[in-house]
Amino acid sequence: MSELELENIEEEKKQYIVVMIGSEQYGIDISYVDNIVRMQPITRVPKAPSYYAGIINLRGEVVPVMSVRLKMGLEKDVESKASRIIILKLEEQGLVGILVDEVKEVVSLGESDIDRVASNAKGNNATFINGIGKNGDNLVSLFEISAIIDPVASKSRK
Amino acid sequence: MDVSQYLDIFIDETNEHIQSLSDNIMILEKEPENTDTINEIFRAAHSLKGMAGTMGFKNMQHLTHDMENVFSEVRNGTVKVTSDMIDVLFQCLDAIEKYLDNIKATSSEGDEENQALIEKLNTFLPGAEPAKKEAPAPQQKEEKAESSDTPEYLQISLDDSNRNAMQEALDAGKKLYAFTIYVRNDCLLKAARAFLVFKAIEEFGEIVVYSPSSQDIEDEKFDLSFSVIAASMESFDKIKAAIENVSEIDKAVGEEVTLDTYKSDSDQAEEKAPEENAKKAPRASGSSNAPAAEKTAGAPAAKKPAGKPVAKPVTARTVRVDIEKLDALMNQVSELIIAKNSLVSISNSDNAGSSNSQLHEQIEYLERITTTLHESVMKVRMVPIENTVNKFPRMIRDLSRKLNKPMELVMTGEDTELDRTVVDQIGDPLQHLLRNSADHGIEDPETREKNGKPKTGNIFLNAYQEGNNVIIEVGDDGAGIDTEAVKGKAIERGLVSAEDAEKLSKKDIINFLFMPGFSMSKEITDISGRGVGLDVVKSNVEALGGDVSVKSELGEGTTFTVRLPLTLAIIQALLVEIGKEKYAIALANINNIENIPVSDIKYVEAREVIYLRGNVIPIIRLGDLLDCPDQNKDAKDLTVVVVTIGDSYAGIVVDNLIGQQEIVIKSLGKVIDNNKYISGATILGDGELALILDVNSLV
Repeated sequence: MSELELENIEEEKKQYIVVMIGSEQYGIDISYVDNIVRMQPITRVPKAPSYYAGIINLRGEVVPVMSVRLKMGLEKDVESKASRIIILKLEEQGLVGILVDEVKEVVSLGESDIDRVASNAKGNNATFINGIGKNGDNLVSLFEISAIIDPVASKSRK
Repeated sequence: MDVSQYLDIFIDETNEHIQSLSDNIMILEKEPENTDTINEIFRAAHSLKGMAGTMGFKNMQHLTHDMENVFSEVRNGTVKVTSDMIDVLFQCLDAIEKYLDNIKATSSEGDEENQALIEKLNTFLPGAEPAKKEAPAPQQKEEKAESSDTPEYLQISLDDSNRNAMQEALDAGKKLYAFTIYVRNDCLLKAARAFLVFKAIEEFGEIVVYSPSSQDIEDEKFDLSFSVIAASMESFDKIKAAIENVSEIDKAVGEEVTLDTYKSDSDQAEEKAPEENAKKAPRASGSSNAPAAEKTAGAPAAKKPAGKPVAKPVTARTVRVDIEKLDALMNQVSELIIAKNSLVSISNSDNAGSSNSQLHEQIEYLERITTTLHESVMKVRMVPIENTVNKFPRMIRDLSRKLNKPMELVMTGEDTELDRTVVDQIGDPLQHLLRNSADHGIEDPETREKNGKPKTGNIFLNAYQEGNNVIIEVGDDGAGIDTEAVKGKAIERGLVSAEDAEKLSKKDIINFLFMPGFSMSKEITDISGRGVGLDVVKSNVEALGGDVSVKSELGEGTTFTVRLPLTLAIIQALLVEIGKEKYAIALANINNIENIPVSDIKYVEAREVIYLRGNVIPIIRLGDLLDCPDQNKDAKDLTVVVVTIGDSYAGIVVDNLIGQQEIVIKSLGKVIDNNKYISGATILGDGELALILDVNSLV
């Protein structure tokens, strides 16, 4: 903790969990993350939007799980040993899980490490991202959490 | 003085008193001579005044004070009850309710003084008020001033009925405590304080003796102290602490007493203080010749011990439990049930070894606990619908006068209990249905007479329990629904084409009434006709997991039947399998289960139906509807679960029946809120999830 505090004095830094989706790295603001769990059976919910993967039993709670891949218009998730469900805790919706291919590491990024994306940036995924973080040589796209979760965003995209 | 902490209690109790006043004024209108009712009204008005005064709500206090004056005259028989008076009294109640709403919203009663109402009230009073009751006050003050050396509570003079009451309490194993309570010098409303003290004491037991008499205390005819003897099972200190907790009470002194304390003490007192004796003598003789107040004051005090317990249930004692605590308890029970279910699944899968029978025993035990726990928690959550429905007679009375149609509301089954959340939310829909009956249902008296009906329209509200449901019927003996007119309106609004309309059944036509914005009223009144009616009723009831159906005979009346589930969170359900997916269907919706050969399926308008015991039941291929993978499509026999909502049926085709289970309903989360066919999910014994079918959407 003391290390973190020192960094805070230098510059406001936020921690991000870096995950892999396809071949890209994405960052999720750690303050939203409640938990990371291994893949487990997901119960399909009929008549739900395609990106709504289903529900899981998280220690006695029913938690909906979303597919970020499908939400962003990528191909379907392929389950592997590295696959994880990241449980986000949101004020409005409560617990929501998102599927990722792999969890890499936790990084601290300050404002100076982040390029804010202009809203008219090219590419489909732009609306889901609020910035690009520079982590050494790697670029990490930072998720706009509300856009991944919000069902309205997906409609406007279509 | 900071009274904000009492605000909640004040609001609750004021509501109760307003309700009690409203009920009793209704009775009074019909039976103007009923003294019990008048006394009850008087008591409620008095408490209301006292409480408003204590909380510093002056306007409210003034209004209730003037109402009380009127009641007082009615009680004395000097003023006759008229329906004008009843109208004004109801207006006063509305005004008080307005104060209360202000208080709820802003913690302040607002500036409205309602002078006009007070003046109206005063016109009912016959001149000046009789002032004779003031007489005994100074007498008592002297008495108190003199007797400062022995504790006051030992000077209480007991009559025979007091002694009997004390003896009874002792016989019942209770202890008797005598208290003298000193009110602070600067206390403004001593009677109100005394009232609060009595309430505090009555939490623990009952008050058997009041000195001065309870009537005098209520009328503030005491100086700065008064004494009581209370009977209770609790310890002295507890009660003392409770008394001293009342604000503006200086202190309470007292001790445990027996009947003997009083015998010897009063004897002693007589020996020791001859002047006091002399003081008592005129008081005793005085009661025979002069102040009527003495006499009347003595009588209620003597009656009190017997009268109190009888009078109490009138203001239904409510247990106020924080709903959050209940929810927590509910969650724990939910978990317990999940734990139980997992035990069940272990025992089913692992059938080797002799420990199995033991395990079964344990499970049975656990099952019993969870069931009773569930029941008791449910019971805590259950409240009678009374609280919601008892405002309706008043409403119908007002409507009756407003619409110039004589009508009467008859209610049965007000004690039917429902989950608290349901009771809180059912008020509006029911109110709407009643207004509907009053406005559209009941014809004007001339038409009624022409049709050979009694002049007074009859509106009814019947509540009763039926299995796991509570049924509330709201209806009238009015004109009934004119299906032709509804059909015409539907065609006019383009909801259905003229030729299609001819094919519609009566029920289909009546269902148009539940469409948003559909109103049959030719003109908009402030009672109904805006078209925001039955659709809201329907959606509110469905949100509570219930349904509404209508029966109507033209010329004979209309009955709306509201069906509500008893409980919300835990239900009995049938688990079924479609392919590899598991679904739960609430047992309450299931009529029967049939095995139907594929060859028995018939087609009506290109829809699959089966003909079963005289009913044509549409078939729903759940697998197709929900796009389930791996369904068993080529079975020769179909397993059909016949579900029913109201009097509609549907047959749900499933692959496999798993069995009946008690399930805990969990929400699907807010990410997708409005899934049409699924109302929730539940966790099965093995941790697997099953989705709960919303039968409403299927039928």
